[in-house]
Amino acid sequence: MKYGFLFLTALPLLAQSSLYVAAGAAKEYVVGAKLAASGLFRQTATREWEHLGYSIPFLFALDSDPADPSTLYLAAGNGLIRASNGGRDWTILTGSDITELRDLVVTPTTIYIAHSHGLRVSKDRGKTWTELSARLHRKYTEAIRVDRTKPEVLLAGGEEGVFRSEDSGQTWKPAGAGSYQIMRLEQSPHDPCFWLAATQGGGVYASHDCGKTFESPSEAPGVGKTLYDVAFDPTTPARMAVGGWGPGVTVSEDGGKTWQARNSGLPRSDVSALVFDPAIPGRIYASVHEEAIYVSDDVGRSWKPSGMEGRVANRMKFIPGVAK
Amino acid sequence: MKRILLLLLTALPLAAQAPPFAARKMAMIDAYAHYPGPGDAGFGQIAARLFQHEDAAWCSRKLEQLLAAGPSGDVFWMYPVTAVAYLDQGQLTPSARKALRSAWKTYMPYRGDTENHFLLYYSSLYLMSQLYPNEPGSTWYTGKSSEENLEEARQWLEGWVKLTTTRGQGEYDSPHYMGVYLLPISNLAAWAKDPAMKKRATMMLDYLIADYAPENLDGLYVGAHARVYEDQLVEKWKGVSSDFGYLWFGVGRPMPFPNNYTLYYLVASGYQPPEVLKQIATDRSKPYTHYEKKRTRNRWRFNDDLHGPVYKTTYVRKEYAVSSDQGGILQPIQEHSWDVTWSVPDARGVQNTLFFSHPFSSVHELQTYFVFGPDSGIEGVVRSKKTYDSPDKILGGSPYEKIFQDEDTLMALYSIPPGTRFPQINGFFSKDTGPLTEDPSGWIFLRGGTSTYIACRPLQPYSWKPLADGGKRLFSPYLNNGVIVQVAAVSEFQNLEAFATAIKKLPLEVRLDPVPTVRFRSLRGRQLEFTYGQNPTINSRALDYTKWPLFGGPFLEADVDSERLVIKHGNLRRTLDFRNLTSTDSGH
Repeated sequence: MKYGFLFLTALPLLAQSSLYVAAGAAKEYVVGAKLAASGLFRQTATREWEHLGYSIPFLFALDSDPADPSTLYLAAGNGLIRASNGGRDWTILTGSDITELRDLVVTPTTIYIAHSHGLRVSKDRGKTWTELSARLHRKYTEAIRVDRTKPEVLLAGGEEGVFRSEDSGQTWKPAGAGSYQIMRLEQSPHDPCFWLAATQGGGVYASHDCGKTFESPSEAPGVGKTLYDVAFDPTTPARMAVGGWGPGVTVSEDGGKTWQARNSGLPRSDVSALVFDPAIPGRIYASVHEEAIYVSDDVGRSWKPSGMEGRVANRMKFIPGVAK
Repeated sequence: MKRILLLLLTALPLAAQAPPFAARKMAMIDAYAHYPGPGDAGFGQIAARLFQHEDAAWCSRKLEQLLAAGPSGDVFWMYPVTAVAYLDQGQLTPSARKALRSAWKTYMPYRGDTENHFLLYYSSLYLMSQLYPNEPGSTWYTGKSSEENLEEARQWLEGWVKLTTTRGQGEYDSPHYMGVYLLPISNLAAWAKDPAMKKRATMMLDYLIADYAPENLDGLYVGAHARVYEDQLVEKWKGVSSDFGYLWFGVGRPMPFPNNYTLYYLVASGYQPPEVLKQIATDRSKPYTHYEKKRTRNRWRFNDDLHGPVYKTTYVRKEYAVSSDQGGILQPIQEHSWDVTWSVPDARGVQNTLFFSHPFSSVHELQTYFVFGPDSGIEGVVRSKKTYDSPDKILGGSPYEKIFQDEDTLMALYSIPPGTRFPQINGFFSKDTGPLTEDPSGWIFLRGGTSTYIACRPLQPYSWKPLADGGKRLFSPYLNNGVIVQVAAVSEFQNLEAFATAIKKLPLEVRLDPVPTVRFRSLRGRQLEFTYGQNPTINSRALDYTKWPLFGGPFLEADVDSERLVIKHGNLRRTLDFRNLTSTDSGH
């Protein structure tokens, strides 16, 4: 059970996965306005976008239940939502005390959520929740991840950098990038001790010691800008990318030693989310702010639009096993 | 007849001539029932007609039509539909009623990100779950059963009342948003079945109205506001507060067409405030200083505490009011930290106010209060709040503004760090001030209406820039800066020259470095000293913010954390005790 979600790196399963998108408010939206379809989308086999569930303006992240990938969990403005039946049937699992969820992780036994005022965990699939941020100086948490090889190890990103816990969130230690708001954390699918953190202003930070310390690489992309996403290519160990406001899509193909901007063909270099296709080497998707999702089949050297015009994708994720 | 009644309402000038409360109430509802405002008839017209038990067939048809078009508006959709559901009382067709109920499954409103959004959301969810009990989660957009929805809503509503009666309201004293606190509480007072919830809501209506009563001048909501729109900032009459001031107390002028917040307040409880509140709202026979403690909106980042304190001071007399908070960023985007408001016979179209501000906008400010990313934040705000990122703006707080008020003397000091965008202060001098005199002493003297003299002393050189509507903006581009304002009634002096002479005799010392410091003997004979970033002193005694009451002054008394408010005027007294849910009157 300890390593129950090692399956995340099981490429045969990923090969059958579908791309899901958590899309935020559409262009020109303000609270109360008429809303174009927004929220959860799935890319079909014909590369059309299927809207699932309700239209909601604020959906920030998504994950799936490892035991039942047809059940998704959504980090939304209204709280944590369980979207079962392939994302179609929704239930809000949190109450009035949690709002503006930013991130989540679903493991076989737990659900972790990062929200506007802290971190919580549920060990009963959302029926009850326990606070995990009591010992964090500042509560706002943008990113949460679980070390897939050590389920008791958590990494959280907030306004004071990365924090790491070795006891499932009971205690936390600062792990670096302390001067910056963390926007996203990801663990390499190839090397569990390699992590990347996207920051607001500090560029990309990397950890090569299992998330214990994060440091800024000598050629860190995105310094002085906001990086909204980081992604590892499941098909190619040394390949990774960051997406940000200004840097657009920036790719490294040597394990993060050097980085190249690859925005040719994008309408603007303001990227809110990106993801590598686990089944097609070299394919990468990027959400360009309020323009569309773009796709590249040559690791960003050229791009073409792939739908979702006018929207902001906050997160893109391939979910295994629910393609049909 | 109904048209005549509505015309009468908007034409009547003074409280003494206003018709009785019941007539004011019915005219406002009738306006919606028969004279829809701009745009197509919507839920408001349905609600008004159902309230009057009129043309139920039309109401059913229209309701089905609106719902079939697809709900939108999030929390602003929830409260009208809730009102229609409760006003139905057997009038709607089964088909319309079914469509209304099923919309609560097919549409998921966003709960919003402000306190008023949550109050609208949970009061509506509470009442709809109460109306349709024992229904499973599969019939609600939340996926939760009626009982689960009701319980979640109850918890939030009770928590909000407790937070408000212990630490103050978050979106406080808004001439506009006061409506979206009053209407959901009115709904609960009218329709909650649980006696405790109903009682709590009824008491909260007194509480919210009491919050407004001592801070209105002829129906205008004076002074510092958590949130206000720019047109309401300069022409104070344009607030929803004008509807409520007229409705409750017969003061001022209502909007030409009532705001829909007012309508929904009326078709629910339509609560008429007690006499003690009417006395407080209308008695300006003696000057008074009123104190309030409020709290900031949720601060998600950059602060150790979720809420920060807001210290308000409001001086009111029949001729004018001066009101302020302590300065700083207490609310994002729409904060208004101080002003002078003078009385005018008819405030429609009149800009009867004066104030200064430092135009400030920043991603840091937005990220304090909102969760969205930094890069599109300002752009997103500007979509609905057009002037947010303008150096010419006059709305909004600044972290570099500190304010001290003693009675009708006010000092606003600024210390703007080098490199700050918009390194200037803006002063609003409206088209409706009398001719002003720029005295060699550095004081500016002017008259507000026919009742008020204002002395204004910028601490640094300035120039004038014209405003589109005829007023002018004082522009002073210095980092260490400030303004002293002293107000008096015209009746206190023979003329403006006599007022100016008196002001110029008042001892004044100003230092600008390293931060602004002012020592000033006020017109009221008090020695005031204020240094930017330090506690001010009055007659050498430091102002003690730790003892600031939740409400203090001649009319309202409430201690922080007390959950108790005493409302008093003359021998009239109403005591609201939220711990025991009792409302006790004496002297009536």
